[in-house]
This record gives sequence, C-alpha cells and structure tokens, in this order.
Amino acid sequence: MSPEYIKEIVSNHKGELGALISILEDIQDRYHYLPEEALRIVAGETGRSLVDIYGVATFYKAFSLKPRGKHHISVCMGTACHVRSAPGIVDEFTLQLGLRPGETTQDGEFTLETVNCLGTCALGPIVLADGHYFSNVKRQDVKKILPKIKSGFVEEPGDREDRLFPVEVYCPHCNHSLMDEQNPIEDYPAISLGYSFNEMRGWVRMSSLYGSHCLESEHPIAADTTVKLFCPQCHAELVGKTACFDCGSPMVKLGFLGGGSLLMCTLWGCNNSEISLNGHHRRDEHTGESREHILG
Amino acid sequence: MDYLRSREDFTALQKRLYSDYNADIPTIIIPAGTCGQASGASDLVRTAQREIIKRKLQGKIHLRITGCHGFCEMEPSVLIEPAGTFYPRVDITGMKRIIDALVRAEVVEDLLFVDEETGQKITRQDDIPFYRHQSRLLLSQNEKIDPLDVYDYLRVSGYSAFVRLLTDMEPRQVIKEVKDSGLRGRGGAGFPTGLKWEFLSDAADGKGKYIVCNADEGDPGAYMDRSLLEGNPHSIVEGMLIGAYATGADQGVMYVRTEYPLAIKHLNNALKQSRALGLLGRNILGTGFSFDISLVKGAGAFVCGEETALMRSIEGKMGEPRQRPPFPVQKGIHGKPTLINNVETWANIPVVLKNSVQEYTKIGRMNTGTKIFSLVGKIKNTGLVEVPMGTPISKIIYDIGGGQSGKAGIKAVQTGGPSGGCIPEKMFDIPISYESLAQAGSIMGSGGMIVMDENTCMIDVAKYFMNFLKDESCGKCFPCRKGTQRMFELLDDIASGRGTLDHLKTLEELALVLKDVTMCGLGQTAPNPVLSTLKYFRDEYLEHIEHKRCPAGVCKGLISFTINDLCTGCGACVKACPEQAITGEKKQRHVIDQDRCSRCGACRSICKFEAIEIH
Repeated sequence: MSPEYIKEIVSNHKGELGALISILEDIQDRYHYLPEEALRIVAGETGRSLVDIYGVATFYKAFSLKPRGKHHISVCMGTACHVRSAPGIVDEFTLQLGLRPGETTQDGEFTLETVNCLGTCALGPIVLADGHYFSNVKRQDVKKILPKIKSGFVEEPGDREDRLFPVEVYCPHCNHSLMDEQNPIEDYPAISLGYSFNEMRGWVRMSSLYGSHCLESEHPIAADTTVKLFCPQCHAELVGKTACFDCGSPMVKLGFLGGGSLLMCTLWGCNNSEISLNGHHRRDEHTGESREHILG
Repeated sequence: MDYLRSREDFTALQKRLYSDYNADIPTIIIPAGTCGQASGASDLVRTAQREIIKRKLQGKIHLRITGCHGFCEMEPSVLIEPAGTFYPRVDITGMKRIIDALVRAEVVEDLLFVDEETGQKITRQDDIPFYRHQSRLLLSQNEKIDPLDVYDYLRVSGYSAFVRLLTDMEPRQVIKEVKDSGLRGRGGAGFPTGLKWEFLSDAADGKGKYIVCNADEGDPGAYMDRSLLEGNPHSIVEGMLIGAYATGADQGVMYVRTEYPLAIKHLNNALKQSRALGLLGRNILGTGFSFDISLVKGAGAFVCGEETALMRSIEGKMGEPRQRPPFPVQKGIHGKPTLINNVETWANIPVVLKNSVQEYTKIGRMNTGTKIFSLVGKIKNTGLVEVPMGTPISKIIYDIGGGQSGKAGIKAVQTGGPSGGCIPEKMFDIPISYESLAQAGSIMGSGGMIVMDENTCMIDVAKYFMNFLKDESCGKCFPCRKGTQRMFELLDDIASGRGTLDHLKTLEELALVLKDVTMCGLGQTAPNPVLSTLKYFRDEYLEHIEHKRCPAGVCKGLISFTINDLCTGCGACVKACPEQAITGEKKQRHVIDQDRCSRCGACRSICKFEAIEIH
C-alpha cells in the first residue's frame, strides 16, 4: 500500500460533498478492502478522528475491513429474487465454496456476499460476479458459473471473430482516408495518425478492427498519458465534443464513409472507443458544416 | 460543443436539431440498460454496428442505443422506428435477419411477438397488450433518446420547459403551477411537491440552499428510478433546474446508490454535457441564474433513503437518521435549507410544465399524473409499467401483466417494499392512489409491485422483510434495533414450527410499539408487512401454529419431500442432493431418507418429471 496514493486520493476529493465516502470507495477500488494503515492516513489528512472514519467504514455495506477474495460474488436477495428461490442459490454457493455470505475462501479466490437488490428484478434470481450479471440462475447452474468466474470470463474460441470487425475511417477535416494499406495490423489496413505529448511527436498505427487494441507507435507511450492526435494528411488536430464515458478524458472523432463516427479516448491505455450511428447531423466546430454533409 | 449564451442560441440549436433530423429513416432501437445488457443487448449492438458498417448502410439505417423500455421479460428486444415494429428476445442471427428485412422494407414474420392468449402475431409495439393498456408519459421518452447524447434529449423538446420558465415566468408562478398540477412525491409518502417547494422558497433568502434528488432506490424489488436515471438522465437534470429556479436554490445534489453503476455513468455524463452547453453552471443563458449539481454516491445502506439519513450521508458521515422537526427545509445539509425529491418526481417536473398544467391534471383519477411500477415476482409479463393514478390493481396485474407466471394462482401483491404491505387478490379492484393503498394497509411506496402466488408463503414473506429491516436498522434508536430483531425471531419461530398463539399476540403488540415510538420512517413502517399479512392471511399463520403446516410448502421446518410414481429413476436428483439423502436403483422409483434430508429443494428444482412432492 502506498501512502502517497492514499494522500493523492484524499486531495482529489478535497472540498467535495460526501468526500469521505468517495475517498473510502476509491481506496477500496484499488485494494478491494480498507487497510487499517490507509484509514489512519485518511484520518491524518482529513483531520477527522479515526473513530469517525471507522464509523463510516463499518456503517456502509459496500466497505470491508477484511481483505476480500480475487473474485467477488454477490447473490441478489431482493424480494423478486427471494420469491423466485434466491435463498437456494446462496445455499448452493455456500455448499460449493464451503463458506457463508461475507466470508472469503482460504485460498483468497472467492468472496461470497448477498446484496439487497440490484434492481434487475425481471431477470431474477441474479448473481453478480466481478461485474458480470448472471440472470435467471437456477440452483444447478451454480456449479457451471464458478469455473467461469475463476477463469476471468475468457472469451470462448470463435468469439473474437464474431465480436471484432474492420472499420474504415476518414479525417473529418480534409476528408482524406486515414487507412494505411501498406502497413496492415492484424491483416487489415491500419488507422494511421500523428500524435504529440510532452513535446514529443510521432506516428501511430492502430488496428482497424473495432474492439481490438493492437497498435504500434514511433515512441513508447506510457499508460495514463493523454495524447493529442492529428490527421497525417492535413495535420489538423482531431478533436471531439465528447468526454470518455469511462475515464473522462477527451475523445477524438473520426468519420465513416457515408455517415456515422468513431470516437476514441485519448488517454493511453483506456482503450475506450464508441461507434455512433444515430443519424445526428452534428455540426463540426471547425468548418461549421455538418459532418454527414462533408463525408456523404 | 455549442456553448449557449442566450435563449436565442438555445432556440437556434433546437431548431437546427429538428430540421437536421430525418425521422423517416428507419432506426433500429436497442434497449441496453443494466437488464438489457445482462440479457445480451451488447451483442446485438455489436452485430448491428458491424452489419451497418460492413454493408455501408449508414444514412439508410440509423442505430439508437437507449435505456430500458420496460418490457424486461422480452429482452433483449429490438424496436424499429418509425414503423413501431417490436421484436422480442432477439439473438445475433435474428439481428442480422432484421437488418436484411429492413433494407427491403420488410418485417421478419417469425420473429414477431406472439400473443399467447390469441396465438396471433403482433407487429407493432403499441398493439401489444402489455404496452396498449399503459399511459407511458415518462417511459416512452426512453425509446426516443440515446441517454448519453444531450442532442437527442434536446431534439425531443428537452430543456424547453426550463428555458421557457426561466425567461418567461416568475419563480412564484412556477411554484403555483406545480401546486396546481397536484403532483405529489413519487418516493412513496406523497407529500404535495409544490408545497414542499414553497417551503424552501420561503426559507431564509441568501446563498446556500440545497435541492437534492434522492436516487437511493433501496426498496428490494423496485427499479423504476434506475430505468429513469439510466434511460433519461437529462430529464432529471431539467427537473432539478426548474426546481432550483423556482425555489432559489443554488446547489443541487444527486445521491445515487452505488449498486447502480450504469446510472452513475449516465448521470455523470449528462452533467458534463449540460455544463458544456451552458445549461448548468454560472449565469445560465445570460439570465444571471446560476445552479450546478454534484453527484454523491451512496455506499450500500438502505436507511440512507430516509431524508435525514440521506443528508448526513451527503455530509460524508454515518447515515443515521435524526428526529424531525427540524425538517430538512429548516435545517438541512450543513445546516442550510434543503429540499429532497425522489427521482420520479423530478422526472415528472418537465412533463408537468411542458404544456399547460390543465392538460396534466386531466391525467389520472383521485390523484393526478401517472405512476411507474415495477411489476415483478410470479407474473407473466415482468417489467416496468406506467399507468394513470386511479387504475385498478387488477388492470395492472391481468391486462398488462398477463396474470400468473406458472400454474399456481395469484394470491396477493406486495406494494411499497419493506414499508408496505400485502394486498390480497380479492381486493384487486381497488384503484391505485395514495389514500386507497393506505386504507388497504399498504402504501404507494416508491413503486415496487411484487406478485405472489399460491407457492409463496406469507409468513416467509413477512419474515423476509423483517430480516431485511433488522439488518438495515441503523441501530441508533432502541425500539427499532431490538424491535425488528425480536419480531424476526417470533416470525422465525412460527416458520419453524415453534409458534404459539402467544407469538401472534406479542407480534401485534410489538408492531404497535414500533409504530409509535421509533424515530424514523424505517422503524415506523417496519411492522407493515407483518400487520398486513396478519390482517389478510391470518389463516396461514394459524396453519403454521396450530397444525404445524406450511400450505405453500416453503417453510423448511414444516415440510417434507417425497418422490411419487412419476419418477423415472434418471438419477438427476441423486447427484443434486447435497446430503446424499436420495437412493434408488437405475430406472426405478427413488426414495428420500427423511432423516438426512435438509429440505433444500435441490432435487425438486432439478427434476424434470415433477416427481418430487412437498407435504
């Protein structure tokens, strides 16, 4: 555990409403529980007594003072799940893992918990494991679910073919193709862009398979660096109006022939990209014309 | 993003969005809220994107990814605009076929919704009984907008009500309109919204008044608020903007439970976009009116839905309630006057004020407007249902919900979550209103409607809620902390066959004590599930106590499992039994060793031949 990191979290939330709860949430996101040492640092940094911090940490169900397992299983015990036999699902997990709700297996693999309602009542009984929802779970499904959780939900063979597909993008300013046929990545023409960060400039080629994050760049770029991206033809900086839904960094917008756009996060390592095909003729800040018009 | 400096800027942008959008182009709409995603909507989105790009159909077919439409039972579903075609439970192959058909302006007949009663295929969503019998004032918006895109909300006249009021109407007048609309709190208690606003407006002038959106939807079995937060976050922002303008508040807070990650993501995005447009922040549209909203996450405590606890949680403390008065409007967050409304109330505000208030008051009987319910449990059409106030329960359960889901008949419906009660089938003709539900011993509550059938034990239900409440009681006041604990123990005794008639007497006595002397709403309403089941299902309690029998076959201490002659000897139950209590030759009828059996029901849930009976 790094004291600097905890201090950074505390200063990130300075002056916010409900800061303490957000601070503890951030700490738990990182360490999967609230280490005592971290709480002492929070007390020191915020000027609140350790008793206060301990009170909050134990009052809310989302916090744990004990280390939790690698995989986190929550069985929903909402009313709708209850009348559809959720208690039997908990019993089965208890039987299979040899632990009661709130406990962690000795090998540190699984933590079993119950939650009062996940709000997906139509699909009950619901099991939420590491962010994945299992719906309409039956008692006999539990044995099949556990290995899936343990393997980290690896894609089944064949999945990749189905999920990834190639896209062709254009610069929204000069209308030139951004596809580089000479330097394919994963057998498809790469998306070729220029970048700059910390006064470094260079080229980057990205896989044009939507959902793949393969790329090659002139310089190594460290994760969590925000880069600026440019069109290699007209050298205009590519900008978008949206912030990344995952990390909040700016997203750049590239166009598809015929309409629609691809949004890419500019934070290295965030890997978030979104396709928009909703038919909006949004005006482009620079040209004042609607993008669909330029490309179509 | 276009920063709007005046009402003219706003009108110009909205005009441009109207004129640029071609509503005649076929649009594939995929609901992808939390439950949509859990049932595979993300795969459909991928497939649609891939097909449209691969076949260069951009501009010919549009794709809109939205929040929940309400018919959860049929997800992942696809809706086609402008035709209104509805496809239930679509898979990847189905998605490809829908696009093929759309290119040829055709309908995929064999993927259409089939009405089970008539056996007829129904093409249009609006003709399906589930939708036909509703008045989807709020929920229908979810289909029309991509919740991550403020332009979509603006295109359907979003923020128009706010901008009109901001420039044309005095704050006092806005409050009067809300009062005249008859809108009452949708969080459950039903306090008149306009009156609450007036109180805040009258509270000391000057800086530092808060308005809060209570999005700590903790009632188990209720998820209306989640669908609004995920599917139409800007409507809540607009509602709060109007509230702030009317009451003079300058700070807004959305308190969202941490169990709703997608709602948090969509709200954060909506706040960012509104700020970028200049609809939130300082000097909005050059009028001098300033207001901003911050989002605070809960951390998993049911009691934080109670307003005084919620305020403490917003201050970053333990969410313990306190005595009222002083009410939040007198002494709220950090001592400042504070107004708290529920998500659905806020989402109603732009709807109420968009047109004339007179129009709005025509909706509903007894109370005005609509109410969204989450219809779940042993019901055929699970989902979110929006009906005018005054609609009889029977219409919701049978016409919209399609009646029972299994073979067992419907016995009761539970409304109002842990603070509510069970209404028996014979009373299903009572209309939905704050008063009539209270008279029936339940409450409107936030809108959970859990249907129970003959296989649901009412003692088990009462025990379930009491267990929930004893865990969620914050422990600050003794009657609640110990009372819920004791009531749970009494119910557990009855469910385990240790109950006596004295147990009933003590239960009723304790229930009244809790009602009278606990400090906050959680404790005061905690006895409701017990009292209402005692009122309507006393026979079931007596069966448990006098005959040590659980008629629904649920209470483990009172039932036994046996195998009948439908058994084929397949051996599935032998493998499933955790206690090794089942034996038998292959292809011969098996037997259960009653001493070893733990009544877990594993055998019954795996048996395909209905050979396991409960006694």
